Amino acid sequence: MKWLVNGRLFDGELLREGLCDLVIDKGRVAKIAPAGRFVPPEGATRIDLDGRILAPGFIDLHAHLRDPGQEWREDIISGSRAAAAGGFATVVAMPNTDPPIDRSSLVRYVLERGQSAGAARVLPAGSVTKGRHGQELAEMWFMANEGAAIFTDDGLPVSTAHLLRTALLYADDLGMAIMEHPEELSLTKDAQVNDGPCAARSGLKGAPKAAELIAVERGIALAKDTGAHLHLTHLSAKESLEAVRRAKKDGINITCDVTPHHLTLDESLIEKSGYSAAYKVNPPLRTAHDLEALWEGLADGTVDAIATDHAPYHLDEKDLPFQEAASGIASLECAVAVVLDAWLKRGKPFGIERLLRLFTAGPASVLRKSDLGRIEEGSVADITALDIGRERRVEAKRWESKARITPWEGAALCGWPVMTMREGKVIWVDGDSRLHAERD
Amino acid sequence: MPWKRKHLIDVDDWEREDFELLLEQTSNMDSILDRSIKKAPALRGKIVVNIFYEPSTRTRTSFEIAGKLLSADVINWTASGSSAAKGESLRDTIWTLEAMGADAVVIRHGEVGVPYYLAEKLKKASVINGGDGTHAHPTQALLDLYTAWRELGSLDGKKVAIVGDILHSRVARSDIYAFKAVGAEVCLSGPSTLMPTDINSLNATYEPNIAEAIDGADVVYMLRIQRERQDAGLFPSLDEYHKRYGLTDKLLGKAKKGALVMHPGPINRGVEIASSVADGPQSFILKQVRAGVAVRMALLYLMLGGVKE
Repeated sequence: MKWLVNGRLFDGELLREGLCDLVIDKGRVAKIAPAGRFVPPEGATRIDLDGRILAPGFIDLHAHLRDPGQEWREDIISGSRAAAAGGFATVVAMPNTDPPIDRSSLVRYVLERGQSAGAARVLPAGSVTKGRHGQELAEMWFMANEGAAIFTDDGLPVSTAHLLRTALLYADDLGMAIMEHPEELSLTKDAQVNDGPCAARSGLKGAPKAAELIAVERGIALAKDTGAHLHLTHLSAKESLEAVRRAKKDGINITCDVTPHHLTLDESLIEKSGYSAAYKVNPPLRTAHDLEALWEGLADGTVDAIATDHAPYHLDEKDLPFQEAASGIASLECAVAVVLDAWLKRGKPFGIERLLRLFTAGPASVLRKSDLGRIEEGSVADITALDIGRERRVEAKRWESKARITPWEGAALCGWPVMTMREGKVIWVDGDSRLHAERD
Repeated sequence: MPWKRKHLIDVDDWEREDFELLLEQTSNMDSILDRSIKKAPALRGKIVVNIFYEPSTRTRTSFEIAGKLLSADVINWTASGSSAAKGESLRDTIWTLEAMGADAVVIRHGEVGVPYYLAEKLKKASVINGGDGTHAHPTQALLDLYTAWRELGSLDGKKVAIVGDILHSRVARSDIYAFKAVGAEVCLSGPSTLMPTDINSLNATYEPNIAEAIDGADVVYMLRIQRERQDAGLFPSLDEYHKRYGLTDKLLGKAKKGALVMHPGPINRGVEIASSVADGPQSFILKQVRAGVAVRMALLYLMLGGVKE
């Protein structure tokens, strides 16, 4: 049993006035009351949050844990621990592994490995197609029964409109969403950067924003046609956000997420860094205008979730000249601080509740997990404690993740998670935070 | 003005004074080329390594001659393909170069950004970009600038037309920076399919009609057209390209009288340039080649010897 005191409670929707105390028992929130209103339960471990925000455990919809098959980059244990250290109580593992997560036995493998990690809850995303080959539907019902949280061929879009339409209908029967990686591949062959100023000045092949927009519009058309739920992941371009905004206005069953890197980095940094591969990612970093459009999307509710797209690589695959290096930004352990810091530096352009929902209730609703992303009496005791005022530098060498290259290396950021709890167990605590909580 | 730059990766961060110092120093070196004994002791005891991952006899030889004329020990490190394909990683190659005590490394690589990577990793040696992918070719820009400057004097207000495949041209990118920095105006021309989408970022005007682009130009700079661009479907045929964009005597008549015709070489006769123009009185193509040696001598001298205040 645990007794959390003096927290500013964000329950998934609202940040409550005053400080709260919580009792956690048997992995669930047993009691919530204004601070000092009840007697400490006997034998409970007291954790004083000292006015910090106490939020539902954060959920990352999109991380590459590379397991099975590419464990030199990451594995489920290191990925689950990295997620916990980044304030995430739940992380969705992408299925572009080797072999891809395209059958129930592999879904079970991921779940069991995640359990044994004892850190963040790892929810497997299943492939839409067998082997991610884009030919035939994978056994989605079997995977759903085993515990797959969502379906995606991420890394690639679902190959054809016909297949995406079929997948949407089939997943809808199972009460689940399809997560789509929006990219029209014929426009992005060999692309390395955004098709904008950086491509013009460097001569690197550019990926036009139209490549994303075409796929977004395809998805919207099919979601409209089927009425099924399509989730568009890692949107990066202004035009894509505008399309989603319009679709939502028309009542189409569309959700989307954006990443911390597309919210904070633009393509000019590639040149400024001397073509450092730390900035190489797909979709590529876009322009400052796009970045602003993503923040507008957060502000007006067009965006439903912030997802890391954590893409770890070994040093030998990433510490290379730009063109040779793999695409992907690793960020699980600093993503929350990256976003909070940017929100603070922008002068808090919208309420913190909206921002916190993007890490909690927003992704929970994409996954249709009504037991996650909220705190109320009886709910699962997944909790993330946040210290908005705390500043810390990003030091990848101290990460739980196996990745060591990140564009934020050395950056002093404000707004870090200080504790992560899953089902009542402390799975990570920042040792330097002066928060007196011990890992279970 | 003292020389402060350790590396030459690109000229996009050069000030006008940097270009002027280099031009002045190149002029000194140029005079060495006219001597009967073309040798100066300036870089005796210095090691210059030419490491070319892409074949380029002209640029490599030019650097080799430049280094040797200044008495440096020049080593040609043969490499082919990408560092990853070669087995030994570029990182390992870099440590080897460092251990061997190289003072300067000239690198030509087919990938954008490799010289930056090299400069970041090397602790001691200076890095000179001999061309990185489609990005930059700073020594070509400097020799082009020197060739034009020597002939025209001040380039303030002069018009330079660069024609052809801008999209894939490292030469064009560096030339635009260099000519703009010393006061020239630059107009680009060629089919839209061979232009970057965000052409405004190049800080030059774009005129798809070549006759308009070279109208009144002081320098007409023709870029090499590669057959693989046709194979990629970026234009229908070399013949059609020549008819639309090839520099003929008639077309050259649109430029200013006596305008300089330049080309980075090797030329495709009958594609981007007619033979009569390439061999004609306004062609400065061979003068560019000679200027290349003088420019590279000046650079090596400034970077390894330096100008003392």
